[in-house]
Amino acid sequence: MIIDVNFVGLIIASIMASAVPLILASCGELITERSGVLNLGVEGMMIIGAISGFALMTVTGSLIIAVFGAMLAGVLISTIFAFLTQTLITNHVATGLALTIFGIGISAMIGKNFVGIPGKEFPVLFEGLKDTIPLLSPILFGHSIVFYFAFALPFITSYFLKKTKVGLIVRAVGDSPESASNQGINVKLVRYACILYGGAMCGLAGAYLSMIYTPQWIENMTGGRGWIALALVVFSTWNPIKILIGAMIFGGLTIIQFHMQAIGVRIPVQFLTALPYLVTIIVLVVISRDSRKIRLSTPSSLGKSFHKDN
Amino acid sequence: MNTNLKISNVTKIYPGCIANDNVSLEFNSGKIYALLGENGAGKSTLVKILSGVVIADEGKIYLNENILKLNSPSDAKKNDIGMVFQHFNLFETLSVFENLIIDSDEKRESLREKIDTIMKKYNFSIDLDIPVLNLSAGQKQKVEIIRCLIRSPKVLIMDEPTSVLTEQETSELFLSLKKFSEEGILIIYITHKLKEVMQLCDEVAVMRKGKLVSVSQIKNENLESLANKMVGQDLKTIKKKKENNSSEQLINITNLNFTSEDPFETNLVDINFSVNRGECLGIAGISGNGQSELFQVLSGEIISNKNSIEFNKNYIGDLNPQERREYLMAFSPEDRLEQAAIPQMAIFENVALNNFKSSNFFNNGLINESKIKEHSKKIISDFNVNTDNIDLKSQFLSGGNLQKLIIGRELITSPDLLICFNPTWGLDVGAINYIHETLIKINEQNKSIILISTDTDELLKLSDKISVIHKGKLSKIMNAEEVTSEKLGILMGGGN
Repeated sequence: MIIDVNFVGLIIASIMASAVPLILASCGELITERSGVLNLGVEGMMIIGAISGFALMTVTGSLIIAVFGAMLAGVLISTIFAFLTQTLITNHVATGLALTIFGIGISAMIGKNFVGIPGKEFPVLFEGLKDTIPLLSPILFGHSIVFYFAFALPFITSYFLKKTKVGLIVRAVGDSPESASNQGINVKLVRYACILYGGAMCGLAGAYLSMIYTPQWIENMTGGRGWIALALVVFSTWNPIKILIGAMIFGGLTIIQFHMQAIGVRIPVQFLTALPYLVTIIVLVVISRDSRKIRLSTPSSLGKSFHKDN
Repeated sequence: MNTNLKISNVTKIYPGCIANDNVSLEFNSGKIYALLGENGAGKSTLVKILSGVVIADEGKIYLNENILKLNSPSDAKKNDIGMVFQHFNLFETLSVFENLIIDSDEKRESLREKIDTIMKKYNFSIDLDIPVLNLSAGQKQKVEIIRCLIRSPKVLIMDEPTSVLTEQETSELFLSLKKFSEEGILIIYITHKLKEVMQLCDEVAVMRKGKLVSVSQIKNENLESLANKMVGQDLKTIKKKKENNSSEQLINITNLNFTSEDPFETNLVDINFSVNRGECLGIAGISGNGQSELFQVLSGEIISNKNSIEFNKNYIGDLNPQERREYLMAFSPEDRLEQAAIPQMAIFENVALNNFKSSNFFNNGLINESKIKEHSKKIISDFNVNTDNIDLKSQFLSGGNLQKLIIGRELITSPDLLICFNPTWGLDVGAINYIHETLIKINEQNKSIILISTDTDELLKLSDKISVIHKGKLSKIMNAEEVTSEKLGILMGGGN
């Protein structure tokens, strides 16, 4: 059997495309969690982003408005979460779950009018270079701007956390909000900002799904990707580069198991469908086993409410 | 450059308690001031007001005749007031340098230079690039001090700085503080340890129940006069009667080893000792030399070889704490709020946690609340716990009262052996006295104690025999009469 290298390239590119929403949502949630806030509303924020992006695109016809609108929608819904958990000091877990349920419900309601409407074509970059290098061309060229942004994001996130002052402050707040507050850092402000940023990234991840990956609106189209993104953050031990690895493994296995099902491999379908979840978690657990590193990178105050009393 | 800090009529009221009642004080640079008082006397609130963490309800603060507005910690920093908190304000998972740069506006390189200069000047040696959680308590405190010094403060406030330090580290700290004072930094030293006040300070202000009781020169005071002012009543000093104890062995540890997988724990190597009935064995050492591992092995939190621990002629090395309690052992761990009690649970619920078969706290899986409450009331009255509300969450008890409750809970079943780890850590004189009396009483009833402590004075006062733990190894066991604190100090440092 002759394998066309460009075909392999195309498969890799499709794996990367399926990893994009996971990377975006995980990197956003990672910043939120690094500041000590556990937002379980990722799935809800993604689906809100997905419907907002699609609806704005259909109504206004502008892709730019749609993409930024989706991010803004993510910001708005995460503001509800931030207000509840930071100002009213509600429980992070319960509030996050409520956010997901709310997001799924309201997106289905808004989405009723958009079912069956075809999406728009999203412009791709470097299309002219698509046939220049075998194998690499389909991987490197001819993707949307969101795609390139997603693959740069883990590195930007890593740089931000390690090398910048603001990143240091985010980590400090996640480590000990009490100490940070006593140092004169405005803990609530930092946490608000991190939650809103996480919301924006989840909104973008949702918009990618409904506008670029499968350009249409389907109810509940995030299909649990928000939960996978959450799991990636934890199992990567809050390391953006490992999120990239995890998202690629997950994306890869999802695509490959589709092909295996199509070829008719004699493995129960249920097992094949479960495979990406199992393997991703096992791999991330294995590469993140160092207990010292876990201790160092886990935000100590994760999920704990902070209230400054005078 | 003279610094004058004036506190004028400061009042701070919390629901149910007046933390500071119209306090006025004046400080001048060149001297070291002590602010002395028992836990809950209001010292910490006062210094939190000075550092902007807490805002006073009434009163004014003047620095060099200028009125200060202290609404946040950054206001204090701007006005050159530095503060080292009792509970470190460090970010454990960040590196030392990251901890220092976070609230500084300087460039990395120039800050690093500045830190190096400070460290050289005061003889500190700390690796700036390792995470803070790898530092010892003394080193963490130095990081906090460096953080203050970077801003060249006029006022440096130290809140109970020695509660986590070894004696060696304490004397190092005192040397540094004296140096700072000579350089014109005004130093306010908050403590409840009388000895330190006598050693270090020039003037002392005593607080009691939120009120300022007295301000005086150290040279006019002595330990007793300060203690009486602080507690507000005459304290009797207790001494242990050294008697010939019975020679009947109660517990015998042979070839006990523990190898930990956690790189932050200490391994125990070939531990051998025995304790007779009515005897108190003290185990001294600098914290982090295997004390907590030893405590866990003895209490059964860590299970060891069955034959390595013989208690009352039974081999119990493989039993868990609950099973060991049935053999009449009792335990008082180091961390009162984390290990000994559950802070969010009521007093009586915490009492029920120490559940014996004979105590009948539970009937057919149901909680026998009246039984537990009756039992709790007995503990509270027998052990002088200062509350009558057994439904109170235990986190609202002061350290001293909580420790009394825990010791009471352990002793009310009259165990043969009490193993305690730093039982008076962070307590005030009154509570320490009470706990010491209680421990002496246990010995007088022919019961035994293993006392693991980092407080050498306490060990010398209470023990019949003393051993020193260093890097997970025990020194030979010595008679307490033959031991001096100097000798212990050498052994604790790893000498012979």
